Amino acid sequence: MSLRNLLENWGDYRKGREQGGHHKYEHMWGMAIDLNLCIGCNACSVACYAENNLAVVGKEKFEKGHALHWMRVERYWDEPNLGEARVSEYQVHGASFVPTNCQNCNAATCEPVCPVAATYHTPDGLNAQVYNRCIGSRYCSNNCPYRLRYFNFWSYYESSWPAPLHMQLNPDLTVRDKGVMEKCTFCVQRIRAAKDKAKMENRVVAEGGVVNVGDQPFKVAPGRAKVQDMEFQTACQQTCPTSAISFGDMLNPDSQVSKLWRSHQVELGKTSQKKPNPELRGYRLLEELNTDPRVMFLERVREV
Amino acid sequence: MAKHRIMGLFRDFEEAFNAIAELRDRRVPGLGVDDVTLISPIEHPEIEEVLGERPSHVPKFTLCGALFGMTFGFLFLSSAQATFLVQPQGGKPVVPLPTNIVLTYEMLILFGVLFTVISFIITARLLRKRNSLYSENVSVDQVGIEMSLNDNQLEPVRQLFKRHKVLEIREEVVR
Amino acid sequence: MQTKDINEDIKWAQINKDVLRSMENPRMGYWIAVAMCVAMVGVALTAEILQYTTGMGNAKNWPHMWNLYIATFIFWIGMSHSGTLLSAILHIIRSDWRKPIYRFAEAMTTFSLMTAGLFPVIHVGRLWNIYWTLPYVSDRGIWPNFRSPLIWDAFAVFTYLTSSALFLFIGMIPDLAICRDNAKGWRKKLYTALSLGWRGDDRQWRNFRKTYLLMACFLIPLAVSVHSIVSSDFAMSIMPGWHVTTFPPYFVAGALYSGCAAIITLFICLRYFFRFEEYMTIPILEKTCKLTFAIAMVWTYLNLIEFASVWYGHNAAEKELLIAKFTGPYSPFFWAMLFFGSVLPFTLAFEKLRRHIPTMFVVSLLLNVGMWLERWMIVSPTLSMGYHPIAFDVMWPTMVSWAIVFGSFGWFGLLFLVFVKIFPSISMYEVKEMVYHRRRVARDEQAHVFHRRTGDHPSSGTATPGLEGA
Repeated sequence: MSLRNLLENWGDYRKGREQGGHHKYEHMWGMAIDLNLCIGCNACSVACYAENNLAVVGKEKFEKGHALHWMRVERYWDEPNLGEARVSEYQVHGASFVPTNCQNCNAATCEPVCPVAATYHTPDGLNAQVYNRCIGSRYCSNNCPYRLRYFNFWSYYESSWPAPLHMQLNPDLTVRDKGVMEKCTFCVQRIRAAKDKAKMENRVVAEGGVVNVGDQPFKVAPGRAKVQDMEFQTACQQTCPTSAISFGDMLNPDSQVSKLWRSHQVELGKTSQKKPNPELRGYRLLEELNTDPRVMFLERVREV
Repeated sequence: MAKHRIMGLFRDFEEAFNAIAELRDRRVPGLGVDDVTLISPIEHPEIEEVLGERPSHVPKFTLCGALFGMTFGFLFLSSAQATFLVQPQGGKPVVPLPTNIVLTYEMLILFGVLFTVISFIITARLLRKRNSLYSENVSVDQVGIEMSLNDNQLEPVRQLFKRHKVLEIREEVVR
Repeated sequence: MQTKDINEDIKWAQINKDVLRSMENPRMGYWIAVAMCVAMVGVALTAEILQYTTGMGNAKNWPHMWNLYIATFIFWIGMSHSGTLLSAILHIIRSDWRKPIYRFAEAMTTFSLMTAGLFPVIHVGRLWNIYWTLPYVSDRGIWPNFRSPLIWDAFAVFTYLTSSALFLFIGMIPDLAICRDNAKGWRKKLYTALSLGWRGDDRQWRNFRKTYLLMACFLIPLAVSVHSIVSSDFAMSIMPGWHVTTFPPYFVAGALYSGCAAIITLFICLRYFFRFEEYMTIPILEKTCKLTFAIAMVWTYLNLIEFASVWYGHNAAEKELLIAKFTGPYSPFFWAMLFFGSVLPFTLAFEKLRRHIPTMFVVSLLLNVGMWLERWMIVSPTLSMGYHPIAFDVMWPTMVSWAIVFGSFGWFGLLFLVFVKIFPSISMYEVKEMVYHRRRVARDEQAHVFHRRTGDHPSSGTATPGLEGA
């Protein structure tokens, strides 16, 4: 509330994402999902339920759309009216799977519309949801083109984990009450633990500065934890039987994720990716909307 | 010398108008139209033809209110945002101008309206006790002329009112 | 056939008597109406308690995060707009036929805003925390997110409610003084306090007029901005069918439209129940109908513009949504909206129908049904059909949400019923002004004489109309 602060830093406060912004990053967690490897087994989804205390809502509520599956495996069948040459009743030809979790967009559409600023960008680049602050206006879900935000329509904790199932709840994070929006956090509790461990072991990058991801510059904060690649895994990544999911820090040029993004020439801050040759399979969901998501998909190659 | 206050009630505006016109032509010594108050059931802007132009100061307050609302609104919002730095939102700047212009506009109108209403209460001298001369007939259709007088002016004014078919005269002594 | 807006020879005492009579001794019908409204509010309250205690799943599902509540919120906000139109715009362009009917229109503005304001509160998941949307100084340095169109809504609705309530109140002060002079008992005390010591001297009138004019000047852009901001709840989003540039004018036109239709409905009710035939005359009804017709055509035009821009814009998602609106599961409602909104208003173009009160009553109600459908058709189809095919789902509103929407009409009715018995629903002093000025214009010869007696030269300005010619 100080005028002086406003006037002194005016130029800095007026910078958006394109000019580097005011924000200093510590990490930028990103994901890559290889659809070639995905077999549609839903193990990632189940792992997410177990890790993140997601309520199991039951058949009736699921049908009404009250389920909370942060990681959902979307299944699409080829349909002739969508221009598919051939329709097959066998999954190997006709079905495709897209495991979708929160895309953690860099220009997230859900963030500016929240009336109480309950969803925001953390210095880790995560698109975070503050359950305590959320009042449940549900505008974020309406404005998410991926529809990847889920709402606690009921107090699920009352019936979702009958004893002794409540013993399997993960103590690292909360159980949400009714009226709160929730979504994939990239397993923020594991990120937190890894960062704390790194700091405890004195693995710290002392200097700040600017790190380029592709040709986009990101300001980084000094004194950030140096988490090694693959030091920890998200629940979905850990469970995937075919290792279709990679996860890591995109500010670290040597991480597996950064390498994948680079090798498929997918760049942040673009609304469409150039694809000079068919070997480059990378794409992001609905990137033409300029949401700048940080989950990259690798197209599935199918025999025709 | 005691001060008096007198009010004459007339059947309609035309008669009151004529009475004031006659007063203006200085038929009563020492009495000008500046002391005259017209009390009417509806507004009569044409009364300024005889009472002279009487300005209203409401627009000045309105302008102040609007300017205050505009500056206060913008600075309040921007400085609030500038202290709330943990909240980078959707790749937008900390102080986003389009948003703040929308809200500044609302604050401009809000404070403009509030200042206007407050200035109305001040300039129209509302929230005061009505004096005992007030007649309830004014709220129906009669028109009153009220003025403050000295002893020696009382009788000429009464005569003048009567010449213009006054319906009722009320007087009181002001201490 | 009645052709004059008002009978110029009506006695002023009669005006006072007729209007004051409408405020006293409620009849049986009034109490029945009040009881019905209370019952409706009771139904809504029960539903709200159920929703509060168990959760929003009673009313919504994924991906239909908004539904009837937001649609009805827009409906009520929209209805509030023509009170301002009728009173502020027509005041500025000096259309004196507004004078007998603007008071209840302004009351309608205030009360529909008070109804609308409830809906965002009802619709949030944790309404016990709704005060977090207010910009108050917190020791934790937390502020609401001023980027969110919902916060703009909160600012806009608060500003509009404050300003329109003050506008209603300021415009009513001379009438409250009349009430004060004629009341006894608790009413006397109430009106004495509310009339702020008004006695009608020239200083008060002069400042009153200035104030009223300035507030009218503020209210017009405010009304336009309020519904533009409400439209930006949708236009600022990224979803197909919502992210539409023409939404602000489209919403404003729709708002004025539904408000004018509601004015016709209430006009007919008041005219019938309070026997206001002398003041709420057929020619005034006709003028309101013509206004409604004009706005209906603007609304139709903006609708066509929207279709055309989607069609030629050739965005796949938007185009598919438009086709789904015409042919999909919501199509019966969409066609009904187009019929009620664009075809039905043509009844207003015929003088015979315009002057026929029962027809106008039914038509005005149906126009508002159409406008309610319009709001629903803005909110729901987009939610049922966004970008991501996995989230394509049609949802029909549940009984809980219907009950709350139903109850909101009872709440509005209750406020309005209380208003008409406590405050004059026709502006007495302005009807007097209207009569006075019309009589004066009719007798400009007398005006000339009248002017000469003041001793001024006839051509010295400040002229009464028709003076120079005399």
